[in-house]
Amino acid sequence: MGQLKFLLAVWKANLLSAMEYRVAFLSQVIGMMLNNFMYFAIWIVFFQRFKDVNGWGLNDMWVTFGVLASAFGLVSLLFGNAFNLSDIIMKGRLDYYLSLPRPVLLHAVASRMIGSGMGDFTYGFISYALSGLFSWDGLARFLLATLLAAVVFASFLIIIQSLAFWLGMLTNFTNVMINAILTFGIYPATLFDTTAKFVLFTIIPAAFMGSLPADLIRTFSWTTLGQLFLGAFVFLCLATSLFRLGLRRYESGSGIQVEV
Amino acid sequence: MKKYLSIFKIQVVNSLAYPGELVGRSLMIIPFMWVFYQLWSVTFRSTGAEAINGLTLRDTLWYLMMAETIELGRPRIARTVAENVKDGSIAYLLNKPYDFMLYQFSTSMGETVFRTATNALFGGAITWWLVGPPPHLSNWTLALVAVMGAWILNFAMNALIGLAAFVAEDVAPFEWIYQKLAFIFGGLLIPLDFYPQWLQTLSRFLPFSSMVYAPARLFVAPNAGGFTSIIALQFFWIMALSLALSLAYRKGLTYLTVNGG
Repeated sequence: MGQLKFLLAVWKANLLSAMEYRVAFLSQVIGMMLNNFMYFAIWIVFFQRFKDVNGWGLNDMWVTFGVLASAFGLVSLLFGNAFNLSDIIMKGRLDYYLSLPRPVLLHAVASRMIGSGMGDFTYGFISYALSGLFSWDGLARFLLATLLAAVVFASFLIIIQSLAFWLGMLTNFTNVMINAILTFGIYPATLFDTTAKFVLFTIIPAAFMGSLPADLIRTFSWTTLGQLFLGAFVFLCLATSLFRLGLRRYESGSGIQVEV
Repeated sequence: MKKYLSIFKIQVVNSLAYPGELVGRSLMIIPFMWVFYQLWSVTFRSTGAEAINGLTLRDTLWYLMMAETIELGRPRIARTVAENVKDGSIAYLLNKPYDFMLYQFSTSMGETVFRTATNALFGGAITWWLVGPPPHLSNWTLALVAVMGAWILNFAMNALIGLAAFVAEDVAPFEWIYQKLAFIFGGLLIPLDFYPQWLQTLSRFLPFSSMVYAPARLFVAPNAGGFTSIIALQFFWIMALSLALSLAYRKGLTYLTVNGG
């Protein structure tokens, strides 16, 4: 409960800070929604021409794209530093978080809000509403699926960024991995063979961000829900364990200071 | 002209100073090409046709490789120009004995050369492995000329977006939207040949098709007639955008206030 109160306070401070530049914040939100819609227009053109890909149609794409965008947006909004954790580690900026009586990882990743994430998060709901598969219980599943997909995505970011404890600066590697999970997450699951699917559930868990949550939203199934919960739990445990393990190797940037 | 060539050379050397960075960035093309292969092989199989609108699976993949190489190779010059405007460093560049826009052009080209080369190398290797050798190996020169035209057009568009920082707080949304326009009207993810007729006609006239589609299509199906019309259209857009850029730059300078320094 104490951690939740702390998180709420951090998020409130982030929001107030983002709102200092109101015009920039709003232009990022609207710009990102427009950006997503324009990207999706390519899929509209594709499915108008080819109708379906191994049983996957435009409606399925709206849902998949929607849940992926909302999950991505949620992580950008609430845990924006997860995108540049390796940079924080390498520059010794973890010192600041280590000097305070709060969980280091949680505090570090929650300390930044990416304004455009609001555009992604909102667009996801619009995408779902436009899918033609909208229902109220479906919306509840959409919310749950977005939350679980966001946990997997945030965990994945923490895992790849924590490798910086052992391997040093990883900007390009992390960019490749982030692009890979987003690219594979958007594409229809029916495209991939068994080996590729194994990769998409493990090394690059894109299936937990796109096709699997989309399956749950379209039709409820305990198996799919169980898979999503299991995926979120396993990746979260992996992420926190890897970060803790890495923290033992952390070298201070001699930047310990308490800001009052 | 000599000084701009020197700036270009310095930037080329700079881009080679961190080979790991250069290679790491270029690796991104590999997952893209792999997922394209999955999508288009399933699509071609489902239509049951050997070729769709004149393009076979091999043509489509090589087309996409070239399109991605151009897209991933282009430097984000809009951000650099916008940063120069926002942090005021433009003031320090203005009093140097060179033209600010030509300076940016030279650095942009210097950055592009090896980025494009490494993307083409990795992209080409995986595409070759997936679908076999590229078609029409002998006519790469035609495509290369069109690629250079695409680079100039891309610079002009990006610099225009960067100069918007004179009046807007944040130019990132303009950059995203420009990128998506290039995706749609440039045929970055789907060749324009697969579009409905009305969208093909519209796209072919816009500058985005000259930036992506034209060089990529020439790469897989070169022909002298097509080459001439592509170069003519590129020339038209280069002239139009250069004029717009020049006007925007002059207008932008009137907003600039330099306080000491």
